Amino acid sequence: MVVDELFDLVSYRIYPEPHIRLNPDVCQSCTHRVCTFACPARCYIWSEERDRVEFAYEACLECGTCLLLCDRGALDWHYPLGGYGVRFRLT
Amino acid sequence: MERGEYPGAKNMFGGMMAYCPAPEELVPGFWDQAPWERAVIKRVLSVAGEGSSTSLVFQAHSDSTLRPAGAGSTSDRTLTAFTLFRPFFDRWYAEQAVARGVTLLTSCRADGLVIRDGMVRGIRISGDSVEAPLVIACDGTLSFLAQEAGLHTGFRPDQVALGVRALYHLTEEEINERFGLLGREGATQEFLGCTEGIRGGGFIYTQTETLSVGLVLHLDSIKSRSIPPYELLERFVASSQVASLLRGARLMEYSAHLLPEAGMRVVPKLCAAGLLVAGDAAGFCYTNGLTQEGMNLAMTSGLIAAQAGAAALAEGDFSARKLARYREKLKKSFVLRDLATFSRAIDFLHHDRLFAVYPRVVSALMEDLYRSDGTPKEKIGKLGRRAIKDEVTMRQLLADLFQGGRAFLW
Repeated sequence: MVVDELFDLVSYRIYPEPHIRLNPDVCQSCTHRVCTFACPARCYIWSEERDRVEFAYEACLECGTCLLLCDRGALDWHYPLGGYGVRFRLT
Repeated sequence: MERGEYPGAKNMFGGMMAYCPAPEELVPGFWDQAPWERAVIKRVLSVAGEGSSTSLVFQAHSDSTLRPAGAGSTSDRTLTAFTLFRPFFDRWYAEQAVARGVTLLTSCRADGLVIRDGMVRGIRISGDSVEAPLVIACDGTLSFLAQEAGLHTGFRPDQVALGVRALYHLTEEEINERFGLLGREGATQEFLGCTEGIRGGGFIYTQTETLSVGLVLHLDSIKSRSIPPYELLERFVASSQVASLLRGARLMEYSAHLLPEAGMRVVPKLCAAGLLVAGDAAGFCYTNGLTQEGMNLAMTSGLIAAQAGAAALAEGDFSARKLARYREKLKKSFVLRDLATFSRAIDFLHHDRLFAVYPRVVSALMEDLYRSDGTPKEKIGKLGRRAIKDEVTMRQLLADLFQGGRAFLW
């Protein structure tokens, strides 16, 4: 198994607007960046080049890990609008 | 009210639920009809060290009435657990309710509560509201509804675990052969010592033609160890003890979910005027050391909430005082009693030693015990003392044994 395969197998119905929003100023001052390694869907990536956390809401599994681990209150967190987001087929 | 396109679209669990009699009250012959995958008759707990692992195996005998012969069996199920898929199971269960007159709204996200005159009167959905004399919040570990009603301040990272799971396809015969099963019999295997020091464990559950392979990890421990859960899962899947079971298997799906782990201590207030909280939202999840239960507690708490609601409806009184009978009934049921019985487990399970040091100690001891190298043998006590040397002090070991004993043994 390769990690990338995992993410490719998840089914989504993607809403055009993100359901989670980051406050980039707050993220900038964060030292642990726990979201970049704790998110099980790898939605948060630290970009050295841009010197900031890059967030892709499309791959979100809606678990809430980021919300509970972010101790800076940087996230405006909602579930996706009804009918959108991840759809588990078997699990 | 379901925020997914269909019931189960957003629900994820390890793959196995303990037999639960509650739904039989609502749908006679429930477990004969429900779409489950396998009836679990074999349970394995493996403690893994670096070079070896030690397992405890429980299996019901083939000629025993404990052993469910398959679909439609009426044999004793109280020792059984079922593996199942939430998107199928939940959908089917919801259809049973709809067939009996329930209105099911799917693709419908609860944005918040409608609160008037200090009473919950319904929920807000996008640009609209649905009013009802009673709301039962089953909105999972994050339970924004219980928080909005002031019943809960939300779980902390040390009170919650993250489950990640990969689903693999094999043939039914391959699974039966690899796990020593017949027909629709199922097996579960849990692993301790496979999480690189993160507090948590691994699991494999057998469905008919698939295996669920995953990890459950304490959220605060993921943070302190800085290991991405999917990387840990990748290494778990590649480890010799798992890889041999997965030979030739095709990866099908990946999922993740949070589960409450703090037990009794963080069970929120369970009722407010016009509102009850059930399932993960109420923190109903526990382990007795060998099995983890959550879904059966959720289903049972849902039933008890509905009964409390029906009684309140008959009296036309949805005040918090009236609805408090929900908690009273839960206290008498196995739901809150089991949580109370194992309320010390969570403190014990917060020792990092349990997930790295002790699995190594067990492996070292068992390796010494089985080693035959032409030198004189020693008794197990002496081998044990050598195995713990450099790992943990005798004093610490005794303290841990005492605490573990209080959590699980007496």
